[in-house]
Amino acid sequence: MNGAQYIVNALHQQGVSQVFGYPGGAIMPVYDALYDGGIPHQLCRHEQGAAMAAIGYARASGQVGVCIATSGPGATNLITGLADALLDSVPVVAITGQVGRDFIGTDAFQEIDVLGLSLACTKHSFLVQDPAELGQVLAEAFRIAQEGRPGPVLVDVPKDIQMMAAEPTAPVHLVSQCPEPEAADLASARALLAQAGKPVLYVGGGVVLADAVDELRAFASQTGLPSVTTLKGIGTLDPHCPQFLGMLGMHGSKAANLAVQECDLLLVVGARFDDRVTGKLDTFAPHAKVIHLDIDAAELGKRRTPEVALAGDLKTLLPALAQPLTIADWQAHCAAMARDFAWDYAHPGDAIYAPALLRHLSDALPEQAVVTCDVGQHQMWVAQHMRFAHPSQHISSSGLGTMGFGLPAAVGAKLARPEDEVVLVSGDGSFMMNVQELGTLKRAQLPVKMVLLDNQRLGMVRQWQELFFDGRFSETLLTDNPDFVALAAAFGIAGETIHRKEEVAPAIARMLACPGAYLLHVAICPEENVWPLVPPGAANQQMLEAKA
Amino acid sequence: MKQHQFKILTQSRPEVMERVLRVVRHRGFALQGCQMESKSDSKQLQITLTVASERPAHLLFSQLDKLVDVTHVEARELAQAAAPQSLQIRA
Repeated sequence: MNGAQYIVNALHQQGVSQVFGYPGGAIMPVYDALYDGGIPHQLCRHEQGAAMAAIGYARASGQVGVCIATSGPGATNLITGLADALLDSVPVVAITGQVGRDFIGTDAFQEIDVLGLSLACTKHSFLVQDPAELGQVLAEAFRIAQEGRPGPVLVDVPKDIQMMAAEPTAPVHLVSQCPEPEAADLASARALLAQAGKPVLYVGGGVVLADAVDELRAFASQTGLPSVTTLKGIGTLDPHCPQFLGMLGMHGSKAANLAVQECDLLLVVGARFDDRVTGKLDTFAPHAKVIHLDIDAAELGKRRTPEVALAGDLKTLLPALAQPLTIADWQAHCAAMARDFAWDYAHPGDAIYAPALLRHLSDALPEQAVVTCDVGQHQMWVAQHMRFAHPSQHISSSGLGTMGFGLPAAVGAKLARPEDEVVLVSGDGSFMMNVQELGTLKRAQLPVKMVLLDNQRLGMVRQWQELFFDGRFSETLLTDNPDFVALAAAFGIAGETIHRKEEVAPAIARMLACPGAYLLHVAICPEENVWPLVPPGAANQQMLEAKA
Repeated sequence: MKQHQFKILTQSRPEVMERVLRVVRHRGFALQGCQMESKSDSKQLQITLTVASERPAHLLFSQLDKLVDVTHVEARELAQAAAPQSLQIRA
C-alpha cells in the first residue's frame, strides 16, 4: 500500500461514500488509487465546483463533504469554496496534492503555499510531512471538521508521500468534546424566560448543525414563543406554525423585524447577530435582554453582550430551558402582525412576478424536495416565499454570499439525496459563474431542475444602484446574456423560456414531469426589487417597502 | 486604546505563529510586542504577545482559544487599569 492508497482507504474507513474533485499532476497517485474503486468520485469541471458540490452534499446529507484537487491552481480554485464552508460552518475535508517535499519552497511547477493560503479560509489545515502522520492527520481532519461548530479542514499531501510505502492501520476515530454550561447560568436563563412578557425566539443555522431540529420544535411548541429565523435557520421551524413570523433582517418579513424590535427578551439559538440580521447594531432589539445559546463560545458576546450566555450542545440546552409561558397577549399581537403583513402576491400586468412563481413552485414541489440557490435577488425571494420542512432542504450561501454556488451545490445535493427532487433557483448573473457544471450534470446524468430568473441584470447590485447610488447603473446590465436554453441544450439538457404569468403553472408542471435535468428560463422584469429592505445603517423597523 | 498581554501555549507546529498572528491582525488588534520560545520538550511553544485595540480583549481571547493548536490562553490588561484583570482558560 502506498500513501495514496492509504488515503483512499482512510476515507473509506471514515464512512465517506462520495467524493468530488478534479485530477492533476500532484494528486495523480490518489487518482490512481481511486481508479481501483472503493469510493465513488464525481468529476466536476472546475475545482470551485468540486468544493461547492462537497458543500451541497454535506448540507443535504448531514455528512462530511470531501473534495480533492491538485497543487497550485487546483488548490487555489478550492479557496472560495472553503471560505464559503467556513462562513456557513459546513463540515468539509479538502485533500490537495502538493509538490514533493524536496520541491517545496523552490517555486516548482504548480507549487503554491497552500497551507499559508488555507489559514484564513479553513477551520484548520495540515501539511503532511511524514507518511507515518497520515492516519492521525486524516482522523484529526474528520474530527475537527465535525466537532463543535463544524467547518472546512484542508489536508495538503506532498506527492512523494502519496507514492511512499504506508503501513495499513486500524481505523482511527477520535472522540469529540463538548462544553457544558454552568447550572447557575441555566437557572438564570430559565428565570429570565419565565419573567419575560414579550419574548422572541431567534433561530440560526446552528440548530441543524447540532442536529437539534426536533428539540427546537419541541421547545417552540412547549413555550409558544413567537419565532424568527436567519437565512440559515430557514426550515428549522414549521413554516405553518402560527407563532412563526419568518426570516428577520435586511430582507426579513415586517412581522419578524417588528416583533424583534419590540421584544423584551431575545432567546438566540445557534445564531450570531450577523450584520445582515441586526441592521444598525445599537438599534437592534433595543428593549431586549438576551439569552444566547451556541456551541461556539467565541460567538457569545462577539456582537451583542448577552445577559446569559450558554455555551453547549443545543440538543441538551433546549430541553433544559423548556417551560410553559404565560404570554397569550404577546402571542396574539405577533400573530396579528403576521396576518396583517402577510406577503401579497397580487401583481399587475402580464409579466411574471418572481415571488409568486416561487410560491407556486414551493407548493408544487414534494415535501422533501431540496432547493439550492445562488446569491442575489432570487436568493432573497426564495428565502421569503418558499417553505421548507427541514433546513437541509434549503441550501443557500449565507455567510459568504457566493455567486455561482447554486449549480454545483445542486450536484452535491442530488448525489446525497438521489430519491428527492433537487431544484436550483438561480439568477442570470450567478448562473454564469459556474455554468461549466452543466457538464457535471450531463456526465452524471443528474435530473436536477433549474429555474433561472433572468432580469438581464445583476439584480441586487442594480437595486442598490437605483436606491443608494442615484441610479448610476455601473456594469450591471447583462443584455448580452447567452441563449440559456440553447446553452443547456448544448449539454443535452431540455428547457424552455417563459415570459407571461399564465405560462408559469404549466411550465413548472412540465419541468417536474421531465425525467432528466431541465432548465426553466424565466424572463422577469428588470426593475423588480426585493422588498422589504432595511437600508444600510438603519434600524430594522425602518424598512423600505414596495410602492403601492 | 487598551493594551493587553496574551500568554499562549500551543502545539509546536511550523505554521502556528502565522495562525496566531493572523487572528490577532484580522480581529482588530495591533501587535506591539512578541516573544516565542520552545518549551523544553520541543512539543509546545510559549508565545507572549502585547497587543493594543479599541476592542475588548475577550474578543481576541475567544478567537485564539478556539485555534486547534492552542492549548492554553491567558490575557491580562496592561495599561489604564486600576488593577490587572485576567482571563484564562484551559483547553
